[in-house]
Amino acid sequence: MTNSSSDSRALRKFLRHKPAVVASFIIAAYAVVAMLLLFTNMITMDDTLQRVGPETIPGFSSVQNPEKRLEDAEWLLDRIDTLAGREDPRAALDSFRDLGVRHVAEIPIEDLQQRVEEGWEIYDRLAEVEDLTAAVNGTLNSPDAPTGEVVLADLQQLELKLDELLAPMTAKEKSTRWFEMLFGTDRQGRSIFYRSVYSIRVAVLVGLITGLLSVTIGTIAGLLSGYFGGWVDNLITWLYSTFASIPNIVLLILLAFMFDGGHIDEPLNRWTGGLLKWLIGGRLDETLIPVYIAFTATFWIGPCRVIRGETLKIRELEYVQAATVMGFGRTRILLRHILPNVTYLMLINFSLLFIGAIKSEVILSFLGLGVKKGPSWGIMISQSKVEVINGFFWQIGTATVLMFFLVLAFNVLSDALQDVLDPKHV
Amino acid sequence: MSTTTTQSSEAKTTTRELALSVQNLTTSFRSDRGLVTAVSNVSFDLFKGEALGLVGESGCGKSVTSKSLMRLLPEHVTRYGSDSKVMLGSDNVMKYSNREMRKIRGNRIAMIFQEPMTALNPVFTIGWQLDEALRHHTKLNRADRRKRVVELLDMVEIPNPDKRYGEYPHQLSGGMRQRVVIAMALACEPEILIADEPTTALDVTIQAQILRLMNDLRERTGTAILLITHDLGVVAQTCDRVVVMYAGQVVEQASVGDLFHNPSHPYTRALLQSIPRSGKKEKGKRLATIDGIVPSLLDMPKACRFAERCDCRQPQCDVEMPELVNFSGDRSVRCHFPVHK
Amino acid sequence: MWAYILRRLAYNVPVYLSILLLVMLALRVRDPVFGRLPKNATTADIAQKRVELGIDRPFHQQFGSQLKQVATATFDEISWDYPGQTVGEVMSRCIGPSLSITLPSLVLTTLFSITVALISAWFRGRALDKGLVFVAVLGMSVSFLVYIIFGQYYGAYKLNEWLGYDVFAIYYNPEVSNAGWGEFFTSVWPRYYLLPVLISVVVAMGYDTRFYRAVMVEESARDYIVTATAKGASQSRIMFIHMLKNAMIPIITRVVITIPFLITGSFLLESYFGIPGMGNQLIVAVESGDFPIVQSFTAVFAAVYIASNLLTDVLYALVDPRVRLS
Repeated sequence: MTNSSSDSRALRKFLRHKPAVVASFIIAAYAVVAMLLLFTNMITMDDTLQRVGPETIPGFSSVQNPEKRLEDAEWLLDRIDTLAGREDPRAALDSFRDLGVRHVAEIPIEDLQQRVEEGWEIYDRLAEVEDLTAAVNGTLNSPDAPTGEVVLADLQQLELKLDELLAPMTAKEKSTRWFEMLFGTDRQGRSIFYRSVYSIRVAVLVGLITGLLSVTIGTIAGLLSGYFGGWVDNLITWLYSTFASIPNIVLLILLAFMFDGGHIDEPLNRWTGGLLKWLIGGRLDETLIPVYIAFTATFWIGPCRVIRGETLKIRELEYVQAATVMGFGRTRILLRHILPNVTYLMLINFSLLFIGAIKSEVILSFLGLGVKKGPSWGIMISQSKVEVINGFFWQIGTATVLMFFLVLAFNVLSDALQDVLDPKHV
Repeated sequence: MSTTTTQSSEAKTTTRELALSVQNLTTSFRSDRGLVTAVSNVSFDLFKGEALGLVGESGCGKSVTSKSLMRLLPEHVTRYGSDSKVMLGSDNVMKYSNREMRKIRGNRIAMIFQEPMTALNPVFTIGWQLDEALRHHTKLNRADRRKRVVELLDMVEIPNPDKRYGEYPHQLSGGMRQRVVIAMALACEPEILIADEPTTALDVTIQAQILRLMNDLRERTGTAILLITHDLGVVAQTCDRVVVMYAGQVVEQASVGDLFHNPSHPYTRALLQSIPRSGKKEKGKRLATIDGIVPSLLDMPKACRFAERCDCRQPQCDVEMPELVNFSGDRSVRCHFPVHK
Repeated sequence: MWAYILRRLAYNVPVYLSILLLVMLALRVRDPVFGRLPKNATTADIAQKRVELGIDRPFHQQFGSQLKQVATATFDEISWDYPGQTVGEVMSRCIGPSLSITLPSLVLTTLFSITVALISAWFRGRALDKGLVFVAVLGMSVSFLVYIIFGQYYGAYKLNEWLGYDVFAIYYNPEVSNAGWGEFFTSVWPRYYLLPVLISVVVAMGYDTRFYRAVMVEESARDYIVTATAKGASQSRIMFIHMLKNAMIPIITRVVITIPFLITGSFLLESYFGIPGMGNQLIVAVESGDFPIVQSFTAVFAAVYIASNLLTDVLYALVDPRVRLS
């Protein structure tokens, strides 16, 4: 019986497992997005850093409360005012991209400044009102406070003035704008949509690279120690025991910290950063290297233990003994007889480690040790703590949901893989 | 294998009492590919004190049949035919509640299985496990139970029974464990013992001992034995009558002598022919086999299920399902063109 | 058996030494002095600081001193972040809060998980089992941090608001550290510790239930179960006596393996709820480069970890009659 028939049988059994197929599609979708993020400019890092609107705007909403509208108007007016006062106002205003896709209209500077002045007038009026929301609702008990309709009318006028200052949006810009504001903004006015989708890049990178490295190193260690025994086994077991006796989190943090700003960090970055830059053109994010190293050093022990155990078992099986008796070299036996039979364990461990990496990234980022450049789900979740107290769930919600589907898909996938490939699985 | 058979001819003549009567047993399983019927309309009688062999190749349904008798199959996926009856005395076991079933298991009907190495619970002592059977079905006190356990161990010829009481299964060899299993099954003196391939996993010498033991016990206690096996040699040595199964159906029933000397169904004849023989005459001859394979449970022929592999196949065999016909005394056969001599 | 234990302990000595070595070397990659001196420190200041911290000594002396502390179990080095307090003192004040979370959490999680796993195994393959497994998988796909944030928000903040009075405290109040035993159990623990424990139980249950369920399902497929059924045993007897005693072996193993983690404490929970436990302390120490604390805490943990591994093997031999320690 050749390998291919049992492979195809396994494949067919896998395909009959509906949740697993769905999970595979989900993972593929994430992978595609990650590729796009890595190699095209679909969403750039800048997109995630620039302010696209007022702070903490909830998603799916176009209605904002009056205070927010006023804040937003003030910020816009202030920026335009400042930029218009620069040496080369036109150039300054042209480069003003901070409101997402919107940009300043092509009107003469004097006109612009006059409109800004008019805007400030209205703003000042509104700024005097103590509680805009109450005024609008008619619940403000202040004798000389304007009525609700007056406040709203003022706000609308202010916003019309601002619209005049901003160039009208093309259809394409309108749709982009819709995406920008889809899940709202965080405390710095950045688009949650952009940030959470861009985080897929980090998640996939960390999961993929960590998973591949850990499984590779763990498998090699496990195979060598299981098959050759003797001092090789002793050495690897000693190494393994050392790493395993330190709690995971402590090890992660110790290593991340160690590589983070210490003596090792810069030269290592430069060396591998250069190498990787040459390989992928700088897309692999050299600042993540401490993370890769810390994760790999912590996670390699999982696959190593499992593969070593399995190798020990397989080594005693008759067909391996037969191969030895027939005079095949040990390397050949290792590669041709043992390795193919542990591949399924490698696969299963990879998917489990992928999940572990993503979840650990959240924890590292919480400590400020993980991702440095750009957003990640971990950063978003840890930043959202303050927002949650005020009842704002959009940042944590979006990050959690996006992470949830990826992790769930891998969980389902690893379950299905175990079902199909591991003869002893229940 | 010797061709002499043991016959207890006395058992045939006078009044025989029914121990168990299986009528129209049909067992199906719910699977994700639909309802799969493993056993179709199986009927046979088991008389007190006799040894009935249930023979057939792997997958013919004999294990499912035996497990159906004790309702040991997983409840929520097993479906029995509506007219399936298993009569123990005047009760239909198929209609028993779970509670009633538990009362007769190990008590009136007992069962032993193929794998002695894994049949016993590894974390409890032999004595405890035998004691459990007694505790469940009898009202003996602790001291009496202990005595009885030692008696049982002695009965199955385990040396040093007192010491063995406190030992664990892993401390015994395969043959010993099977003896313990037999002791456990006979602890409450059941009327019927179902033995599902009890010697298949044991080597030949032990096999002979176990079979002899079972025969002795049968003669002593009068327990009826339903012996399930694929090994015709075992049948010849131990059984009084035989039921042959193929593809979920009974295809022939006869006494041992009749079956071996005058097989009626083409399948039985082919089986007997395929037994390797020794002797000068046989030198140079090829081993006889039955061509083809058993039809898949999902794709059973509507007519005779053996037709495809039968060397006396006729057009009618592919059209009409033959009925199980009793043609003389104890003999029945399911074939359109049986051989009668 | 004692020969086995001694042999295992001896074998673990090189491992332990290398753990200490690894931790101490990793820490010394970054010079701790610079974080503790003002920007305009002179060379003399730096040198003096080094003496003060004890890192001017050759490495093997520092290593030896750490080893001695472990061997005599007296952690008397002074913590760098808490001048005047020895590491031992820091540890003893932190261990209480950590245990107040981890111990109840372990007990509750184990009880609940085994119960749910039993239910799942009893109804194996049916809707209830599939439903429970599904819920477990869903639960495992959300980050611990999210559970904490939402738990804190709804469990403390919102609940207090809704009920009108403070049931669970949102944040730890350092003053309650001095409460007496009686007060601790009746008012301090429920108010400050119960919520984190509940969160921890919810998170851990997903993993444990899946593992215990797998163990039980595997056991319930064994031949001796069929034998027991054929003897006339009821399903509850089969499950709780025949199967459970066999399943206990991997279950006990798993519980014992978790024992070392009782003292690390869950640093996430401690950090979010402000509980001054070992976990939080350790992470803070790593970040601020407080060598004595990091070294000693890790040393203690590693020792407990190795000891509990050994304990697992011994327990295995005691519980499973088939196992003989060689």
